[in-house]
Amino acid sequence: MGTLLKRHRWIAPVALLTPGVLWLLVFYLYPAIQMLLSSFWSGSLETGFTFSFDNYTNYTKALASYAPIYGRSIMYAGAATVLTFLIAYPLAYTIAFRGGRFKNLLLFLIVAPFFTSFLLRTMSWTILLSDDSPILRVIHMLPGVTPDFRLLQTPIAVISGITYAFLPFMTLPVYVAVEKIDFRLVEAARDLYAGPWRPGGAIVGFIVGGGLASVLGIAFQWDFVITGIAGAVTGAAIGWFFISESFVRVTFPLSVPGVFAGSLLTFIPAIGDYVNAEILGNPDTTMIGNVIQNKFLTQNDYPAASALSFMLMAGVLVVVAIYARILGTEELSASAGRM
Amino acid sequence: MTRDDSTTPALISRRRVLAGGALAGVAAFLAACGGTKPLATAAPTDAPATSAPTAAAASASAAPTATAAPAATPSAELNWANWTYYMDVDPNDTNKHPTLDKFTAKYGTKVNYSEIIDDNETFFGTIQPALQGGADTGWDIITMTDWMAAKLIRLGWVEQLNTANMPNFTANLIDTYKGVNWDPAGDHHAPWQSGMTGLGFDPAKTGQLDSLTSLFTADPRWIGKVDFLSEMRDAVGLTMLKLGLDPANPTRATCDQAVAELMKAKTAKIIRAFKGNAYAEDLKSGNVVLVMAWSGDMVQVLTDKPGMKFVVAKEGGMLWTDNNMIPKGAVHKGTAEMLIDWYYQPAIAAEVEAYVNYICPCKGAAEVLKATNPDVANNPLIFPPADILARLHIFGGLSEADETYFNQQFATVTGKG
Repeated sequence: MGTLLKRHRWIAPVALLTPGVLWLLVFYLYPAIQMLLSSFWSGSLETGFTFSFDNYTNYTKALASYAPIYGRSIMYAGAATVLTFLIAYPLAYTIAFRGGRFKNLLLFLIVAPFFTSFLLRTMSWTILLSDDSPILRVIHMLPGVTPDFRLLQTPIAVISGITYAFLPFMTLPVYVAVEKIDFRLVEAARDLYAGPWRPGGAIVGFIVGGGLASVLGIAFQWDFVITGIAGAVTGAAIGWFFISESFVRVTFPLSVPGVFAGSLLTFIPAIGDYVNAEILGNPDTTMIGNVIQNKFLTQNDYPAASALSFMLMAGVLVVVAIYARILGTEELSASAGRM
Repeated sequence: MTRDDSTTPALISRRRVLAGGALAGVAAFLAACGGTKPLATAAPTDAPATSAPTAAAASASAAPTATAAPAATPSAELNWANWTYYMDVDPNDTNKHPTLDKFTAKYGTKVNYSEIIDDNETFFGTIQPALQGGADTGWDIITMTDWMAAKLIRLGWVEQLNTANMPNFTANLIDTYKGVNWDPAGDHHAPWQSGMTGLGFDPAKTGQLDSLTSLFTADPRWIGKVDFLSEMRDAVGLTMLKLGLDPANPTRATCDQAVAELMKAKTAKIIRAFKGNAYAEDLKSGNVVLVMAWSGDMVQVLTDKPGMKFVVAKEGGMLWTDNNMIPKGAVHKGTAEMLIDWYYQPAIAAEVEAYVNYICPCKGAAEVLKATNPDVANNPLIFPPADILARLHIFGGLSEADETYFNQQFATVTGKG
């Protein structure tokens, strides 16, 4: 056996690749091709479908009708990705550097929600956010909140639901990246006079917090000047205390591969998600996944549904390619190699 | 195998495989159990006692006699796909269904009863490839809502019932159900359970309501706290009734009018969401105070929260029905007819009704229940009085093109199209 493998060095890699390749061929490539073909169909379930390249109009029609919903999906998935990053990064950072002997327990707690079904977790949000829930009662006590303010069946609920659902997908890759950082590099930076960088940190926090809050404000039609200022001030305060020069120059750059992986793992499934919009949203918060589901199952419009799905796939590929370009895949694979 | 209408014997093994796969997770696996004396009141075309095979011996002994009258000998087994909580259960063992057990005991067959349907379209997706390919679906009875039944019949994917062998069905089907435009002769479907669609509300918050207009009024007491049904035929149907249009004869023009009206209600922020059964939780938790509601759900809501109310509005309400059908190419057609007919015996139907709380399509069930379970018999949501029945409308059948049109238009309101 050993000599056989030594003589024919190709056997081991081929044997190792075969299951994965077969799996992808059968369960990914074949359906994808089928989907591409059916996006060029015309006809109906009863009359039967016929293929023709003239039916490229399926794409133009779908794009014309659903561009706003694509836009909304990108916005929600993007907002959820930024939110998961803002929540997950401090979390992962703290567990990695300050977790001590609780490290494994804390990691387990991050994964723990996965022991419950995704659907059930989303359903339980309807209880958490319902109009009469303790959370809402507290919010209603705040000044300036109108009595008809609610969370359930609003965009906030949808984005929060997505953020919650994909939080571990951001936390774990970031944790892995941060955990691998050689702390001596940070010490070296400090030796080279990288100090607590209060004004700089405050400025970074001001820009990030203010920008994020105004985008959210515009999205939800709040008064975006007030939300923007509030976000900027909060960001500046956080930055003042927590962002040091060694973090900006050493720790964060070294953790970028984790952030990259985490944001892809969050953004890609989030943009196609339809469960959160279905359960937590309203008719004005539907995402492209809801449209595709309705086209496939209710309207039996397989061509349009396929065209929509294919455009989503292609669009995500383009976004990922651009993203990889900006962050630089070489640096990514290089740092992955270093790990 | 059995003498049933197996024109495609080669597919039997495939059927078994399919059925086995589908049943694996959820099957209520009912063996024929002796001991219970079957209700013989109006039993159909009994199999001679001697020829009724036991479940175990059936596959061997029931093989011959293709000449026998179609329903004379039951097959060894029967596969029925139904919706959840749609059959009476034994209070001591929820895996036992007394009325089914009586059937299996009487005819020595075995019914693989599966409550695997929870959505018409999704289930249609599972049987469509087989039906399109002319193969057996693995099911002998499927229970589908009116419009899906209409679609299956229109596609020619449903077996014609041999009503000569179904004396109870012929005698006891309530007249309201007869003469639908998608099955005028009434020999392709047999109603199983019905429900009404009307208004559900919390009178403490909304006051007493009796008009569909309230669903479209931006009243401060309920604006933003109204759930509409996500089922197109219910939402559009009630809207048509509100506008004085006839949902029994839907046209593209009336659809456009209804959709425009729905759109107005959405733009005015009256509608909180379009939901399936989930509206019931919303109503109970106070997230909404007014809903388009199904009577079956409301029986449950009223049990939990007696203060709530369900009414069929003065403009009318919708009546929808889930129907038993035999899909094309079903292997045990004769036995399926016997089982469908079995449930048109008033005593058997009454037993089911006492558990499921929907509307019963069988004459005489109410009279049986008046003696055994007056609470159920006198519940207007289960046995609606004549004046309510008179206000109910069945959504008319649609051609495929029209159905697509209706669904597309409705999807523009729900945000999915």
